[in-house]
Amino acid sequence: MMTVKTNVAGISLAGSLATALALLSGPASAGPAPAQPTMDKCYGVSLKAQNDCAAGAGTSCAGTSKADYDPAAWKYVAKGTCETISTPKGMGSLKAKS
Amino acid sequence: MYAALQRDFAEALTDPGRAVPKDIAACHADDAARRFSIYRNNVAVALIDALAARFPVTQQIVGDDFFKILAHLFIAAHPPASPLMMFYGEDFPGFIASFEAAKDIAYLPDIARLEAARTRAYHAEDAAPLDAAVLRAIEAKDLGDVRFSLHPSVEIIASAYPIVTILAMHMGGIPLAEITDWQSEDALVSRPYLDVDIRCLPPGSAAFLHALSGGHTLAQAVEYAVAAHSDFDLGINLALLFNAGLVTSLSIVSPEDMSP
Repeated sequence: MMTVKTNVAGISLAGSLATALALLSGPASAGPAPAQPTMDKCYGVSLKAQNDCAAGAGTSCAGTSKADYDPAAWKYVAKGTCETISTPKGMGSLKAKS
Repeated sequence: MYAALQRDFAEALTDPGRAVPKDIAACHADDAARRFSIYRNNVAVALIDALAARFPVTQQIVGDDFFKILAHLFIAAHPPASPLMMFYGEDFPGFIASFEAAKDIAYLPDIARLEAARTRAYHAEDAAPLDAAVLRAIEAKDLGDVRFSLHPSVEIIASAYPIVTILAMHMGGIPLAEITDWQSEDALVSRPYLDVDIRCLPPGSAAFLHALSGGHTLAQAVEYAVAAHSDFDLGINLALLFNAGLVTSLSIVSPEDMSP
């Protein structure tokens, strides 16, 4: 007969179970809000980033493949909203190294 | 003959340096090259759009112009291997990590990893999350022997950067502001119902969930979690498993049952 495990790595299993059940039943849950189940799978309304095909994209006939997107014409530096984010090395700066 | 033509056609499409396949003809001789270039452009634009659709926050962070160049170089190095465009760009985060001009944005590869995981979770198999009531039926003495099956959509993206906060700011979940509390965040990506859920995991949770999804018992998973982070709180994590709809089934396998 094995001895019953009540502690693992210094953590009380019974205490943790009680805590979990309290968190799960409490109205003001300290954990994240439960997801709301939604039942209908609706087709034809998926977001752009989440649809199943890229049909429709790139159907314009710009006809400039050699001019556009030419890697040799590198002149861009990264830019964007992350300049508001500070890092351990100071404020974010998106100037690419030249 | 058609096989050779098709191969030439496909290769010339993605390589602007190549001549138009010689069997391509137009009414006016000089039209063939011009018309073929329209085709080439559409292929490039469609693939760049597919990447922009899958990595909108990555695009937002670097800006449209930078993203176009980045995407174009990626497409040349990693053409699609499957017609399923929603999964195109699996290698994009790794490509960004090796991209010299993006090195200043150290967290960018992790943001891209998170966005790639988001799409995978969206398309993961459906499964009904288990109700928390089953936890009430478990006796404390059996808890250590419980094994959980996690939802097929569950993925963890561990990062040294506050990627969940950065993603939420760019997606409008929280206001864009300076992040003064710059620290590492482990992201949990899941889709218990129809919407993908991305949240920041508490300390040790990543190791805990990895162990559970690897088939370890709860007791073993707790040991991994505590080893990873001494502040691991089992109560909060048990609640998270059910609150976030991460568990699809569980079984209790006592050590006696496992021996012959």
